[in-house]
Amino acid sequence: MLTRLKTQVPLFSMNSYTKLGEKLKLSGLSLASTHSHVIRLGRHNSKMAVCIAVIAKENYPLFIRSVPVQNELKFHYTVHTSLDVVEEKISAVGKAMADQRELYLGLLYPTEDYKVYGYVTNSKVKFVIVVDSSNTSLRDNEIRSMFRKLHNSFTDVMCNPFYNPGDTIQSKAFDSIVSAMMVQAS
Amino acid sequence: MSIPDYMQCAEDHQTVLVVVQPVGIVPEDEFFRIYKRITSVAQVSIRDSQRNLYIRYRHHYLPENNEWGDFQTHRKVVGLISVTTCGSAKEWPQTSDRFHCQKDVFGATLYDSRLLVFGLQGEIAEQQRTDVAFYPSYDDCPDVEKRVEDFVESIFIVLESKRLDRATDKSGDKIPLLCVPFEKKDFVGLDTDSRHYKKCCQGRMRKHVGDLCLQAGMLQDALVHYHMAVELLRSVNDFLWLGAALEGLCSASVIFHYPGGTAGKASGREPSLARGQGQAADTGKRHRPGAQEVLIDPGALTANGISADTSSEIGRAKNCLGPEDIIEKYKESISYYGKYKNAGVIELEACVKAVRVLAIQKRVMEASEFLQNAVYINLGQLSEEEKIQRYSILSELYHLIGFHRKSAFFKRVAAMQCVAPTIPEPGWRACYKLLLETLPGYSLCLDPKDFSKGSHRGWAAVQVRLLHELVYASRRMGNPGLSVRHLSFLLQTMLDLLSDQEKKEVTQSLENYTSKCPGGMEVLTLPDGLKLPPVPLSKLPIVRSVKLLDLPVSLRPHKQKGLLENNLSSKSPFIYSPIIMHTRGEERTKKIEFRWVQGDVCEVQLMVYNPMPFELRVEHMGLLTSGVEFEALPAALSLPAESGLYPVTLVGVPRTAGNININGYHTSVFGVTSDCLLDGLPSVRTSGCVVEVIPSLPRLQLSTSLPRSAHPLRPSKEELSSSVSVQLFNGETQQLTITLENIGSEDLETLEVTSKTCNTKEKLFGEFLSWDLEEAVSQLPLKPGQSVTLTVNVKVRLDFSGGENLLQDLNDDGISVTGLPISSPLRQVLKPRAETKALGSESSKTDYNHVKTLEAVMTFKYSGGAGKVEGYYRHLSLGVHVDVEPSVFFTRVSTLPATRTRQCHLLLDVFNSTEHELMVSANNNQDLVLHPSECQRPAAGSSRGEPSLYRSMSLVGMNTSHYVLSI
Repeated sequence: MLTRLKTQVPLFSMNSYTKLGEKLKLSGLSLASTHSHVIRLGRHNSKMAVCIAVIAKENYPLFIRSVPVQNELKFHYTVHTSLDVVEEKISAVGKAMADQRELYLGLLYPTEDYKVYGYVTNSKVKFVIVVDSSNTSLRDNEIRSMFRKLHNSFTDVMCNPFYNPGDTIQSKAFDSIVSAMMVQAS
Repeated sequence: MSIPDYMQCAEDHQTVLVVVQPVGIVPEDEFFRIYKRITSVAQVSIRDSQRNLYIRYRHHYLPENNEWGDFQTHRKVVGLISVTTCGSAKEWPQTSDRFHCQKDVFGATLYDSRLLVFGLQGEIAEQQRTDVAFYPSYDDCPDVEKRVEDFVESIFIVLESKRLDRATDKSGDKIPLLCVPFEKKDFVGLDTDSRHYKKCCQGRMRKHVGDLCLQAGMLQDALVHYHMAVELLRSVNDFLWLGAALEGLCSASVIFHYPGGTAGKASGREPSLARGQGQAADTGKRHRPGAQEVLIDPGALTANGISADTSSEIGRAKNCLGPEDIIEKYKESISYYGKYKNAGVIELEACVKAVRVLAIQKRVMEASEFLQNAVYINLGQLSEEEKIQRYSILSELYHLIGFHRKSAFFKRVAAMQCVAPTIPEPGWRACYKLLLETLPGYSLCLDPKDFSKGSHRGWAAVQVRLLHELVYASRRMGNPGLSVRHLSFLLQTMLDLLSDQEKKEVTQSLENYTSKCPGGMEVLTLPDGLKLPPVPLSKLPIVRSVKLLDLPVSLRPHKQKGLLENNLSSKSPFIYSPIIMHTRGEERTKKIEFRWVQGDVCEVQLMVYNPMPFELRVEHMGLLTSGVEFEALPAALSLPAESGLYPVTLVGVPRTAGNININGYHTSVFGVTSDCLLDGLPSVRTSGCVVEVIPSLPRLQLSTSLPRSAHPLRPSKEELSSSVSVQLFNGETQQLTITLENIGSEDLETLEVTSKTCNTKEKLFGEFLSWDLEEAVSQLPLKPGQSVTLTVNVKVRLDFSGGENLLQDLNDDGISVTGLPISSPLRQVLKPRAETKALGSESSKTDYNHVKTLEAVMTFKYSGGAGKVEGYYRHLSLGVHVDVEPSVFFTRVSTLPATRTRQCHLLLDVFNSTEHELMVSANNNQDLVLHPSECQRPAAGSSRGEPSLYRSMSLVGMNTSHYVLSI
């Protein structure tokens, strides 16, 4: 039934959601002239993530990086709204079994262009990975392993005695791990 | 059907639709007053039955939507109430015609109609008609509600008869095929005799009867009919109607499970329902009384004489869907609707209804899936207004399920839609209003106080963007005051997050806006009551510390000793207590030791720096104070780009006495004036902000006849207001004239002069400083501007007998002192001392070796005016520095035997080093006049016991004399 709901989407309402999509991408400098600023991603080279974010326990970003740098704000919005789902999932799981909860949250929500995946550490730090929705080659397992890698690197960052928990992450090692996971902007 | 009703909810399926419309010219406010009274009759319990009829009123309804009335009966307009004004009997026929025209619009579906006529009196009004009610005026219509209730009852009768009609229609007659508008052409030429077609007709009719039962308040019957309809329609794959039957099933179950309704508190359309909600919100699954009765007494319905064709084979308890099932069935139903392009509105509405149900069930994740689906439903070409409505409702629903960020996102999209370039008249006002509503979703609050706590944490990029949009929207709205406020907020709270380029841009636009509308500290109130608190720009410049400065030494007030002790003892009954009276941490309110004086300029030093990448001009920077009337003297400053800490002194004059509290400071930057209070700036270091201002005191200025001293007195604990220096020969007297001028505004009433000699190592003969105060005191009180003079005699008489090194130097020239027993121990003692002296810096020049210094401080205590009454005084201190040179040297000492053996003559060679004539007197009063640079040899008689080499000499001039002392 659920899959039915999802597959129905592209079949049925292509027209409306591209329209909506335009709205969602409003992000230019002036309010009125935003429509021309829509930047489409190249769909050819999309093996990996297009945006990776680390969000603190208190839900503010510690690190956020996206591949099309020009339209970073769009990803800010995407990741920001995904926090609603993350919070909901955490609270839902928290009730059931706090100890054995899985860190990987799975697909948070699909947008018209992207799929948003979430992961939450035991200390409630959230990782969000956004991948291109046309990217069908990416399996759930690969996403999991990306998150695991990210988590390991984040642990290293936290181990740095000079890193003040709660500050934005500026570690080069972390940066390079993230870069390796991202689509190389062509 | 193109326009969805986003406010619909599951329980609307049990309502009957009544349209209330004005006919002819009816003032809008009057119409809505009547409309409101009519809508208060939302629920009518029908006489002689346990049932309730629920009514949904609309004042606007598309006839196009009415055509879907067979599909879902709650979409069918069954009642019409027209409201009209009719002034005279002449107009009556015309009005009546209009009413009939209006009836024709919904004609096919109407069960009944009413006309409410206002303003008509007389013959016509006296007729008793059921379909028309006459009232003299809009204010005089007490029984409108009663009328409406009667009307609803008549609708119920029709509804009930229809229901019975259809339900009992068991005859072999052909059941008509109900269909939705877009299906009509599909059935042309279809074989009406086929089994498939018949089943289709049966299923649709069953579903229709289910709808009617639901409306008529027979929930259980409705459930049964829906179940049967589902069976029938599923077998013939009639998906659209199957979807409708499933949805009907869901609606009935929802009504059963959630008697409080699912519309949410916000709608408040139906007061009776809203009231029910309040009670039922927590109790959850409390059943509706009516429904319960049906469960308890299954025979109740038939006992009423309404025979229902309920198939008893389906158990009643099973009929109702469980909460889980409701959602499953909704999903199924929606997926069936999704197969039909023309049923988009139905699908969308079903989604919305399901979300409301899920919100009550608190199944947030599933609700978000439904919403996600609703986002993608295509309704063809939407008008801009419909888009705005759609985004707004999405936002509202996301808010309902607690997804505040999503909600804010869609609200913002709606706001953007209001001003889309395709709209000829962009609704900036609406855009602004919607944007403001998104603030909580982005965890922004327009009160800068929330940001002053610690470093800012949030989605800076998104927040900055939103603030920019607010600024832009408010500007386009034509309210530059709001733009200035939002820009100030942006600058104040996001300063650290802006790039240099952005900082420049923001400040430039801020300056542009403030040229039209200067920013201030008043609270801006929006039309809808939202208040925008003022934003003080406390980061332009950033103040690091605030330090209150004491008055200059000469102006500091002092308290009379006796009075001070009185003060201390009054604070506490204990003479000594180890408990510290003031609480720690309250540093800001801590009182400062020193005092300020009314009428005198007081200073506060701020350490500021400019965080901007360009020069910052701060104008009208002044102090904000409380407690005392204070005249702040504002300063203007210009801070270089990214300056380091920069001291700024703000000055002001207290005009009254009391405790003054320095609360903060006032600035004007980029045309925005701000009052920055220190309470709100925890990063500012301060050593206390409360200081006592004492009543005014006179001020004295001191001038002297002698030149000012270049070098201050060496070891002085107290600071001096001024000092003079003079060079004198030993024994010389100099007059020093001191002029004291009253430069303050108070009369000088008392004056005391004291002096204190500083270095007491030297043995001083006689009085160093002497004066006569009588004359000066006689001139008191001294008016402002007047002056008084005081003559001080400076007289130096020092013992130079310790300066033997000169003597010794001379001895080394070959002048013999051999055979003088008293001399040799002297030499032995003195020699090492000469060496140590040579090490000292002052004696590096042998010329000054013999110069001695004498220092004294003269203190002028004075008081007057109101300050004197309070026991305060001021003092001036004058340092007097005198370099004393010896006037005579004893260059040679020798002895001559005297006539008696117990005596001898002591011969001294005296050298006058001055340029004046001097008189040397010894104890035997043999005066000796020495001319400049003359050497004489007086013989002094000396007794063997204690040789007094030096007693008193008045020295005038420089020469050498021989002096014979007889011992």
